[in-house]
Amino acid sequence: MLHEFKVNGELVEVTVARDGQDWLLGDYKAQILADGRLSVQSLDGRAKIAHSAKVGDTWWVHIDGHIFCIEKVEAGSTDGESDGGMTAPMPGKILEVKVSNGQSVAAGELLLVMEAMKMEHRIVAPSDGVITTVNFSTGDQVQQGDILVEMEE
Amino acid sequence: MLSTVLVANRGEIACRIIRACSEAGLTSIAIYAENDAGSLFTELATVAVPLKGDSIGETYLNQQQILAIAAQYSVDAIHPGFGFLSERADFAQAVIDAGINWIGPSPHAIEMMGDKMTARMTMKAAGVPVIPGEEIESDDETGMISAIVEASERVGYPLLLKASSGGGGKGMRKVEDPAYLEESIRGARREAIAAFGDGRVYVERLLTGSKHVEMQILADTHGRTIHLGERECSVQRRHQKVFEESPCPVMTDGLRARMGEAAVMAAQAVDYVGAGTVEFLLASNGEFFFLEMNTRIQVEHPVTEMVTGVDLVREQLRIAAGEPMSCGDLMMRGHSIEVRLYAEDATNNFLPAIGPLAVFRAPTGPGIRLDTGVREGDMVTPNYDPMLAKLIVWAPSRVEALERMRRALDEFVVLGTTTNIRFLRELCDNKDVISGRTDTTLIDRVWPDGWQPNYPESSFDTALMVAGISESAGLHRTQVLEVESNNGPTSPFQTLNRRYP
Repeated sequence: MLHEFKVNGELVEVTVARDGQDWLLGDYKAQILADGRLSVQSLDGRAKIAHSAKVGDTWWVHIDGHIFCIEKVEAGSTDGESDGGMTAPMPGKILEVKVSNGQSVAAGELLLVMEAMKMEHRIVAPSDGVITTVNFSTGDQVQQGDILVEMEE
Repeated sequence: MLSTVLVANRGEIACRIIRACSEAGLTSIAIYAENDAGSLFTELATVAVPLKGDSIGETYLNQQQILAIAAQYSVDAIHPGFGFLSERADFAQAVIDAGINWIGPSPHAIEMMGDKMTARMTMKAAGVPVIPGEEIESDDETGMISAIVEASERVGYPLLLKASSGGGGKGMRKVEDPAYLEESIRGARREAIAAFGDGRVYVERLLTGSKHVEMQILADTHGRTIHLGERECSVQRRHQKVFEESPCPVMTDGLRARMGEAAVMAAQAVDYVGAGTVEFLLASNGEFFFLEMNTRIQVEHPVTEMVTGVDLVREQLRIAAGEPMSCGDLMMRGHSIEVRLYAEDATNNFLPAIGPLAVFRAPTGPGIRLDTGVREGDMVTPNYDPMLAKLIVWAPSRVEALERMRRALDEFVVLGTTTNIRFLRELCDNKDVISGRTDTTLIDRVWPDGWQPNYPESSFDTALMVAGISESAGLHRTQVLEVESNNGPTSPFQTLNRRYP
């Protein structure tokens, strides 16, 4: 079975085959255990235990003490890379807006300050550019993922 | 004698206190806000009473409501835990006025130590060394700015601005360049007003390269004040501790005796009763300076318990009941390390994270202790502090304790919410952590451009295969709920059909 995933912004295609209880990919072989964990064996025959859980579209995988977030890309998805906006990392309140429409900013320049979980967070420009939209003003409540400021490079 | 204890807190520390009550044969009353319904601590308590209201101010900080519940259940003691009302002298006084035992020091002691400028002056008077710095009288913004700018000339750079009512890194700003001083004062003042309703800020010299070493204190009402050795908590991010240990790797018997004596003097200067912590900065030349005293049980108290064999919360209960403390002379054995597991993104400036704990499997085995208030299936919400758990290990030596911590962190599986587990694991491999040359700048020094995980390609490839198999086999059996970001009511039925792979 072929699946398309996105990891760290890159698209990866993964094809796994099934042979009875065994799942195969190249030199690796794996089985699903009764409790939903996976046992994965490489060529040297050593088995490793992996945990997986899907939250939204993302598979969280724990293996060897490492965690990977692997996003499933559904066929025909039009999820483009139009990510020119700075989004709220979590719900909170806008404390200060430092920029306005049409303003040129340099990478790292402070755009606005928000408060969430009792801490102040500084939202800075990821690159040089021009501000095209400021969506919130001081005192506004924002939700996680809200686009705070949009800019053009 | 006590019989019923109300625990005015939530999460991990509420669980810790409620368990101590159970062990002591005491009835425990938990109080909880609606967004904590179904939390572990509400299950462990003998009785769990819902609080009315949505915000923290209307619930865990609502003195009238808590005292009304205390009266309704005829409690004879209130344990405040840490945070929330634990260092509020007015609450301690109200509890005492209601004829209830306050598990902590007197309101006077809380007041003297809680206001950091007052504490500095009290310690100077008691002969305890304090960090070079100046108290600032003025509390309006303009006056404060000019007073601090003036004081900064004498104190010197780099300097640290601190909120007089501060704690947990809030209202604190490091200033290295005078050009940023005014902006930093405004920021610190604003954060302090938001967090504590008190914008007074003072200035201290930033002693870079020093260790954060604190002494655990116990004092009973029978005239005995002792110290239980030190904890080193130098490794911090955003002024919050993430890695704590006892003993401190550079401690000597002589230095411990001197710091212990200073800590006991500090406690006695305010007629301290109960468990408390006197924090010091320890410079590389062996000089130490009073930082602050925390008049409550501390997050990192378990490492002291592991090496001294003293159950600090149990002693708090004894002392509040008017009994003498049960521990004898200080005896320290082996080495203990605690790491704090936060729901946060270590690759993005340790920004707090939220999400479901789709999988939460803690390590087990010899020498391992987990203090947590969550379990698999719980949601991490933005409503409270993002600390999920404290993982504590004990081993006969520091080397073995680090080895044990690495093993435990490798075994710890948390999926669904970003945590700092891997960051903590790599911290245990850092050469300065291994050698014990830790200081408060370690994280910024080792990862000046932020931290990124290191992993072998083979692990990544295997993870991709696991994701492919999981997707093919449909291992995601149920939909995971979106995190409720508001303080609104959570349906109790949401918890009923949560099954995770």
